[in-house]
Amino acid sequence: MSTSRDDFGIAIRSALLQRGAKQKFSLFVLILLSLSIFVLDISGLKPIKILRSLLNDGVYRISVISSSPIKFSGTVKDFFITHIFVYKENRELKTELERLKNKDFQTLYLQTANKRLQDIIQLEKKSAFTTIAAKVILDKNSPYLSSVIINKGSNSRIKLGMPVLSEGNLVGRVVEVNFLSARILLLNDLNSKIPVMISPKGSQAILSGDGEDKPKLEYLPEEFELNDKNLVFTSGKDGIFFEGIPVGNIIFEDNKIKVKLFSDPNQVSFVNVVLDKSSDAEAM
Amino acid sequence: MAISFKRLKKSILETGPLILLFYICISEFHTQFYYWKIFSFNLQFIIIYYWVLRDPGILGYGFVFLSGLTNDVVLSLPLGTSALCYLFVSLIAAYVKNATLRSSLFTDWFTFVIAILVGNFLYFFLMNKFAGAQVEYMSVFYNSFFTFIFYPFFWVLFEFYKKFVIVRSND
Repeated sequence: MSTSRDDFGIAIRSALLQRGAKQKFSLFVLILLSLSIFVLDISGLKPIKILRSLLNDGVYRISVISSSPIKFSGTVKDFFITHIFVYKENRELKTELERLKNKDFQTLYLQTANKRLQDIIQLEKKSAFTTIAAKVILDKNSPYLSSVIINKGSNSRIKLGMPVLSEGNLVGRVVEVNFLSARILLLNDLNSKIPVMISPKGSQAILSGDGEDKPKLEYLPEEFELNDKNLVFTSGKDGIFFEGIPVGNIIFEDNKIKVKLFSDPNQVSFVNVVLDKSSDAEAM
Repeated sequence: MAISFKRLKKSILETGPLILLFYICISEFHTQFYYWKIFSFNLQFIIIYYWVLRDPGILGYGFVFLSGLTNDVVLSLPLGTSALCYLFVSLIAAYVKNATLRSSLFTDWFTFVIAILVGNFLYFFLMNKFAGAQVEYMSVFYNSFFTFIFYPFFWVLFEFYKKFVIVRSND
């Protein structure tokens, strides 16, 4: 019995402390280092925050670049299939057709992009809030996380907790700000909890993400009556969000009261970050 | 000239698993490879466990630590969370390597269960208790399950890589 315990101790000690020819650090040292970094990070020390912000900016840029080989390989594959195998016969005619098609698609794409950008600019002009438009550069949808990364950060006056709109409707809030980028926690994320008001009666509730497309409503009043005219707006009770931002309408699904968001969180490509709380308050 | 080319080729082939590990961390494989609300698996665990167990010279602990930090930054987890999980997976692999004389697919596969459980338990515990983030127990369970299921497939793939690519380049 004691021999097997000794063997276990020797094997664990050896695994923790052993350093081979290519192992510069022992596991023990690295585990201690990881623990220290973890403790420093959750304690919210400023130097660690700055380090993290720098790392984030770097890694997000690398992340965009690292996905480019996959995009490039797709383009190369399409190129070969299109030009060598499929368009072998009648090459000139079909090339011309392809050129015109591409031009047509490009025009269509440009028209769509132009319309979307114009909508965003119009929204910025019309909106009661002071907003800044941003583009989504990375979309993260996972079992643990529903968030997007945008291409604006603290350099564009974005701060933690700011509400984020898509086509004038709430889609999430800023949960991480780097110098050149920021992370938006979407409304359907598990960790998203927003105080909302339901029209027409003005009932209060909490909009809680559950990883599904349609977040659920919690803490509704007992006498709450569901009807087709129920619309959900932010209540501003948390003191972070401004009241009256449209969120969605109520539906009854899977025996739960859920909210069908006005802006689908999975289709967000441009967003408006609401910047100025004071000017907003005045505008409202 | 020929010798230096051979050396270069050998060193590139040997860094293959390391490049794959970092690429997966940066490209968010863990989050992108997620279907039907349940299907996701942790390829990082598989790579780390296999290479630390079968050929520790290929994957240094320092790089495992750095890949963990990269993963934390990409997924916006508290720094050190993934690094700790990966290092504990390495620890179990190193222990199994020291404790067993001859390993096979089945011994590796079943000891891998302990590594997955420890790694994912650490992740779940650190996220829920210290980071204040809500992680669904079932998501972690499904992730652990599929990671376990996929291990033999990658074991065979990495064995092939080790035998036919790395060993051949040494000849």
